[in-house]
Amino acid sequence: MNFPSRFAVIVIGGGHAGTEAALASARMGVKTLLLTHNVETLGQMSCNPAIGGIGKSHLVKEIDALGGAMAMATDKGGIQFRVLNGRKGPAVRATRAQADRILYKAAIREILENQPNLWIFQQAADDLIVEQDQVRGVVTQMGLRFMADAVVLTTGTFLGGLIHIGMQNYSGGRAGDPPSIALAHRLRELPLRVGRLKTGTPPRIDGRSVDFSVMTEQPGDTPIPVMSFMGNKEQHPAQVSCWITHTNARTHEIIASNLDRSPMYSGVIEGIGPRYCPSIEDKIHRFADKESHQVFIEPEGLTTHELYPNGISTSLPFDVQIQIVQSIRGMENAHIVRPGYAIEYDYFDPRDLKYSLETKVIGGLFFAGQINGTTGYEEAGAQGLLAGANAALLAQGKESWCPRRDEAYIGVLVDDLITLGTQEPYRMFTSRAEYRLILREDNADMRLTEKGRELGLVDDARWAAFCTKRESIAQEEQRLKSTWVRPGTEQGDAIAAKFGTPLTHEYNLLNLLTRPEIDYVGLIEVTGQGAEDPLVAEQVEIKTKYAGYIDRQQDEIARLRASENTKLPVDIDYTTISGLSKEIQSKLGATRPETLGQASRIPGVTPAAISLLMIHLKKRGAGRTLEQNA
Amino acid sequence: MSVPAETIAAVATAQGRGGVGIVRISGPLASVAAQAFSERELKPRYAHYGPFYGENREVLDEGIALYFPGPNSFTGEDVLELQGHGGPIVLDMLLQRCIQLGCRLARPGEFSERAFLNDKLDLAQAEAIADLIEASSAQAARNALRSLQGAFSQRVHNLTEQLIGLRIYVEAAIDFPEEEIDFLADGHVLGMLDKVREELSTVQREAGQGALLRDGMNVVIAGRPNAGKSSLLNALAGREAAIVTEIAGTTRDVLREHIHIDGMPLHVVDTAGLRDTDDHVEKIGVQRALKAIGEADRVLLVVDATAPEADDPFALWPEFLEQRPDPAKVTLIRNKADLSGENIALEVSEDGHVTISLSAKSTDGLDLLREHLKACMGYEQTSESSFSARRRHLEALQQASKALEHGRAQLTLAGAGELLAEDLRQAQHSLGEITGAFSSDDLLGRIFSSFCIGK
Repeated sequence: MNFPSRFAVIVIGGGHAGTEAALASARMGVKTLLLTHNVETLGQMSCNPAIGGIGKSHLVKEIDALGGAMAMATDKGGIQFRVLNGRKGPAVRATRAQADRILYKAAIREILENQPNLWIFQQAADDLIVEQDQVRGVVTQMGLRFMADAVVLTTGTFLGGLIHIGMQNYSGGRAGDPPSIALAHRLRELPLRVGRLKTGTPPRIDGRSVDFSVMTEQPGDTPIPVMSFMGNKEQHPAQVSCWITHTNARTHEIIASNLDRSPMYSGVIEGIGPRYCPSIEDKIHRFADKESHQVFIEPEGLTTHELYPNGISTSLPFDVQIQIVQSIRGMENAHIVRPGYAIEYDYFDPRDLKYSLETKVIGGLFFAGQINGTTGYEEAGAQGLLAGANAALLAQGKESWCPRRDEAYIGVLVDDLITLGTQEPYRMFTSRAEYRLILREDNADMRLTEKGRELGLVDDARWAAFCTKRESIAQEEQRLKSTWVRPGTEQGDAIAAKFGTPLTHEYNLLNLLTRPEIDYVGLIEVTGQGAEDPLVAEQVEIKTKYAGYIDRQQDEIARLRASENTKLPVDIDYTTISGLSKEIQSKLGATRPETLGQASRIPGVTPAAISLLMIHLKKRGAGRTLEQNA
Repeated sequence: MSVPAETIAAVATAQGRGGVGIVRISGPLASVAAQAFSERELKPRYAHYGPFYGENREVLDEGIALYFPGPNSFTGEDVLELQGHGGPIVLDMLLQRCIQLGCRLARPGEFSERAFLNDKLDLAQAEAIADLIEASSAQAARNALRSLQGAFSQRVHNLTEQLIGLRIYVEAAIDFPEEEIDFLADGHVLGMLDKVREELSTVQREAGQGALLRDGMNVVIAGRPNAGKSSLLNALAGREAAIVTEIAGTTRDVLREHIHIDGMPLHVVDTAGLRDTDDHVEKIGVQRALKAIGEADRVLLVVDATAPEADDPFALWPEFLEQRPDPAKVTLIRNKADLSGENIALEVSEDGHVTISLSAKSTDGLDLLREHLKACMGYEQTSESSFSARRRHLEALQQASKALEHGRAQLTLAGAGELLAEDLRQAQHSLGEITGAFSSDDLLGRIFSSFCIGK
């Protein structure tokens, strides 16, 4: 039967990508359906119980700046907060939180259930309705037909999921959940390039069987960090510590002598795993001379004894898992609650996507999350939000949106994926961003909230708070710029004495703040009346300290802007462009870049080739577009 | 206008020494460059004769400056043309100044490309330009490959490898703070950085030597009056370029002569003899001589082998030493060997100083000098230690060097690892203009294969 009412956007999947997609679409005022095989697992953290970290917290704060749920749920579910790289510069600082799985899930569920324009329905999706290369709707397991203008697929590891423990394997979407086999078959019929990836988790441990007294305690930071721009520390539940222990020679011996029973090393697993999140057998095998590896013991929640031993993800047989765990200091008598496993799943080559995350071949069909070859809740959430927003824009008949590489990590993520594709599960790192000094976690709101408001993603409360903050920053900068200090005056002498730098002539306070030895708090101690809000003070200080570098990066961005704005037609036939080498023709054909800028980032595409593309565009009469965008 | 607002500059005339050399500049900075070079307002499309000024108002060359505001120009953008003298050194100095002003060197065919994109050439010409770009880039690629198979590429590749090695540590420390690898905190990174800087400055020196080979070496003949400097110039030039008399102080000004030894260009400068004098004109000549010595790539210090001072010439000439020419750049010429009766010979002292005994008058020993000058230019070592670096390469090395300097200050003064990382990225970007791109994913790959990372 046809479902009685029609939706503008349908989101399939209720993980981190799916929930952000559904929420974004609904926030934009579009009638949205979230279709999940199990309402109870909405917002489930399937892997480690933590949100954020280097590069990832940048994504979380960008999601937050665009009105998304992840940061707010983290503030309500976080049971240990830390700032990583705290002593390095602000551009690379990153907030990380351990989350109570139950509290986190509950917070997401609460946000979902209270979101206007959003309907939730429990039923596995089995098929897509596609007519003339345009998606029209979804068919569920029981044959129910939902019609819509756009469909966002966020299937995670469920597409053709295959779980491995030792040499045994079985179909599954995640431990305890069924895979989406029918949908996987259906999608494989579409003209999209498909591949297999692999990821894994460690065995979970019962905390009552662990001796913490021989481990190193790792408490949260004080003052306690907050994830959301709208959050505060009063929202945090009780805080607990993590613990650090290490593998040892005995552990390594057990693993080395059982490698033949590893599905990874015996060739049973064909999918490629992430290099930065290797299984313990991988670490031992590849870095044989390293005598010990850290294991972070992370609590799964306040109301459970279950622990997540981060660092020993494995797909070795269960009997070996027991030996590994019990060889580690403090876990000699540990009881495993759930075995570790590896999972292989289908992903689609993200080079078949547009910047909007819509597939190039099927109109209205969007992909977000692990289906695009990424890993991580944050990467999934970021894509979900973008895909949901673009699905809504499509339904509204408006032009799609994606931030550029110099505007957001979301932009870096999408550009990397659709330009380069990926050979392993893609995870964000700050080193992927060439404009790292501009893309900071502290200024995600300054970079994105205005755009989010324009799209309809940002509500009134967030918008008001943002405007106040932005105004205060401008005011404080103006005040510093117009406050002058002369040498020989009381203030001048006080500054010279405090920072050890005599003033040679008159300076305004903003000039002084650019000096490496002078900090904002110290400066205000001497000159009085600074910004009240520490977040405002932080923005003023960082902007000033980074000014020289940021100016240089802005110049670079401005230089590249024109080619970023020059669109390449979708129907371009690269084999007909005179002068392009066969190799470059095939590279351009494989990625089908949307803009000249994207084309220039494909490895092997030379500046001469870009020149030839410009000339080709001009010849086919696209000159007008060029001029408009320049 | 559709092209990115970058201003490009290039020598528009054929390579080599010609009567006239043209530097063409196209883009928004052309008017700024017009002002900077001519120090006056140029009337559009009028020829203005006058000096071309450098950064510190020194005159780089003289010639005709033409300014064409867009769209009425060859490319459709603002265009400046400097028509000066054709020597490669002069043209190179003009280009360097353009880069200082914010221009970048044009790619092959880029002027025509812009002309086409700005509707200055019709569609029928498009194919021809496409072919031109393809051909010139293929040619450039072949050239680059040829050069890259040589020593220069090897050195820059090694340098890049070292830089990547350093970046791996810096980026790993930033992206993986929870691993037990905080390289920024220990002295490891600083030590590596200083090693890279040292290596870079070696490559810069050698690349500079390569440029010398291409553009010619500046050789200054200096010495006491009547030591036979002008005779030596004439002997090298093979003609009576300078007036030679027995009267001390005959040469009062600086005299320049271009010569070739086995096809290698040399700019030989004869100078007034160094002595205290009351003659006003001669005094100015001595000052100019001292200045020329300071700027020389090679100084031939000529002494009269029959005079007593020949035993320890350096000690006797405080004026000469004041100019502090790098002792390694000075060759001592014991002239008039025919009169002193000593053997025609080239001797190298223990500390590397070269002394040549010869006779400018009889030309005995002149071949020794020629071979020596060739050796100084790196003629014999081209395949090993010096390279045919282009201006573009020198520029890239210079940029990289500046970035490393800056990054070092950030690390040591402010402990700012993320800023060091940014400067290292810039440095590698600059080197990448010589060797090709290296992506962030390549960098991550190196990190993962170097360290055991991941929870």
